[in-house]
Amino acid sequence: MLQKKICMLGGFAVGKTSLVRRFVQSIFSENYLTTVGVKIDKKSVAFPDKTVDLILWDLAGEDDIGSFRVSYVRGATGLVLVVDGTRPATLAVALTLRERVEAEFGAMPFVLLFNKSDLADRWAISDGEIDELRQRGWQIYLTSALSGEHVDDAFRQLASMVAN
Amino acid sequence: MSRVPKEVRSWIYDFFYNERSAAYLKIDARQCIEEKGGNLEHYGLSSLRIGKPVADQLEFMEGLLPCPELPFHMPMMELPGGHVADLHLFGDNGSVWLVFLDATPERDHQQRLQQKAYEMTLLQERERQLNAKLQSTNEALRESQEGLSREYRRAESLLLNILPASIAERLKADEQIADSHAEVSVLFADIVGFTERARSVGATTTLAILNYFFKAADLLSEQYGCEKIKTIGDCVMAVAGLPTARSDHAEALANYALELREAARREHFAGEPLGLRIGIHSGPIVAGVIGKRRFVYDLWGDTVNLAARIQKAAEPDEIRISDATHQLLGPEFACDPLGETELRGTGRVRMWRLRR
Repeated sequence: MLQKKICMLGGFAVGKTSLVRRFVQSIFSENYLTTVGVKIDKKSVAFPDKTVDLILWDLAGEDDIGSFRVSYVRGATGLVLVVDGTRPATLAVALTLRERVEAEFGAMPFVLLFNKSDLADRWAISDGEIDELRQRGWQIYLTSALSGEHVDDAFRQLASMVAN
Repeated sequence: MSRVPKEVRSWIYDFFYNERSAAYLKIDARQCIEEKGGNLEHYGLSSLRIGKPVADQLEFMEGLLPCPELPFHMPMMELPGGHVADLHLFGDNGSVWLVFLDATPERDHQQRLQQKAYEMTLLQERERQLNAKLQSTNEALRESQEGLSREYRRAESLLLNILPASIAERLKADEQIADSHAEVSVLFADIVGFTERARSVGATTTLAILNYFFKAADLLSEQYGCEKIKTIGDCVMAVAGLPTARSDHAEALANYALELREAARREHFAGEPLGLRIGIHSGPIVAGVIGKRRFVYDLWGDTVNLAARIQKAAEPDEIRISDATHQLLGPEFACDPLGETELRGTGRVRMWRLRR
C-alpha cells in the first residue's frame, strides 16, 4: 500500500479546507469555518500502474506565522501551498511557511495553488507574477474550490510527484 | 503522584478517563500495535488490530514514527470519524505510547473565538481593498473628467477662433444659422505689393509679416467690437454690426481701419513700412454658417461684393469708403471726396477717402 502524508499550508481563509473537501468529497460550502488544530482526510489517487493514498493534513492557517507548529509536518512527503488570489499578502505567507518546513525537514515536492479563481473581479495577482514563479519550475495551479476548477489536477500532480 | 492525595489522584483519573475519554495504544519498534485500551470506541477505533502496522490502521501515524522529539503533543486533531483528540506520544524503551484525550469542546470553543477574529480581520482587509479601489476609481474618474473638460475647452476655443461667440452657442444648440442683417459695415484690407515683397524676403519673413498683420486685425477687432470674419491670402475681411446689431457700426469699423493702418505702419516689410489698402462699404448682408464638420461663418450679399471692389480700387495706405458708409460717419471723421469712379460689375460709384 502506497500511503503518503501531504500537508496543506497557507494563511488563514485561503481555502485549504475547502480545497480538501472539494477534492475528497466533491462539495463546497460558502460558509467559512476556520480550522483549529489539524484535520485529517484521506483520498486515493489512481494511476495506470499504481494507486496512491494521500493522507491530507489540513493544518490551521495562522495569521501569525511564528505560531505555526512546524513539527506537524514530520513525515510529510509533499506540500500543497495555498494562496488566496484575492489577497496578495497570502503569497508571502505560503512561501514563508514552505521555507520553515524545508529548514526543518529538507526540500520536498509541492504544488502552489492560487485559489478563488472564480472571484475574477477581485483577483489581485498579476499573470506576470505567476509566470515568474512558473519559470522557477514550480507546479502552479489557478484553482477554485467553488467550481472545482483545476483542483483534481493539482492534487493528482502532487500525487504523481510524491509517488516516484 | 504519591504525594498527591488518593482522592485527588482518583479524581484526575476519573476526569481524564471518563470526561475526556482517555484511550491508549502501545506501538512497538516495528511500528505495529502492541497493546490497546481505554475508550477507543469513543474515537471509532475499537477495530484496531494488535500486531499490525499502526500507519495502515491510523492514517495520521503515516510518517510520524520513529519520532525523534518524544514526548510529542499534537493538540486538537480532528480524526476522519469527526472526533477531535489531543494526542500525546511518549517513549518507553523502544516502544511508543499514544494517548488520546477528547478535545472536541475545547476545539469548538477555540474555533468560535478564532472564527470571530479571522472574520473581523477579513472584513478589515476587504474594506481596505474596497477603499483603495474606490480611491483609484475616483482618481481615474477625476482624470478623465479633467481630460474631457480640457478637450472641451480646446474645442471651445477653436470654435471661437472661427466663429463669433453667440453664433458658436447657437451652432452648439444645433440651430441652422442664416441671418439677415439690414445694417452692417464690411471691411477688406490687404497688403500693398504683397506678392513681389514676399518673393524678395522669402517664406519665413512673409509668414511673420502675415502673422503680425492678422494678429493685429484680431486684437483690434476685440478692441472695437468688430468681428474678423476670415483671411483670404494676405487679405482680411472684418465686419461691424454683427452678430449683435449696433447703430455706430460704420464708425466702429472706421476706427478699426485707422488703427489697423497705424499698426501696419509700425512694421516693416522688405525694408518699407507695411502698407495696406482698405475698403469699407455699409448695407444689408446675410450671415450664416455653412459646412457640417468644418464650419465657416461667412457673409454674403452685394454689400460684401462692393466692399471688396472698393478695397481693390484703393491706393496704397488709403482707407476708401463708400458713400453709404460716409453718410453714417460723424463729423469727427475727416474724409476727402473722390468723385464717381467706375467699378467692375457695379457701374459708377461715389467714394470717399477716410483720412483720420
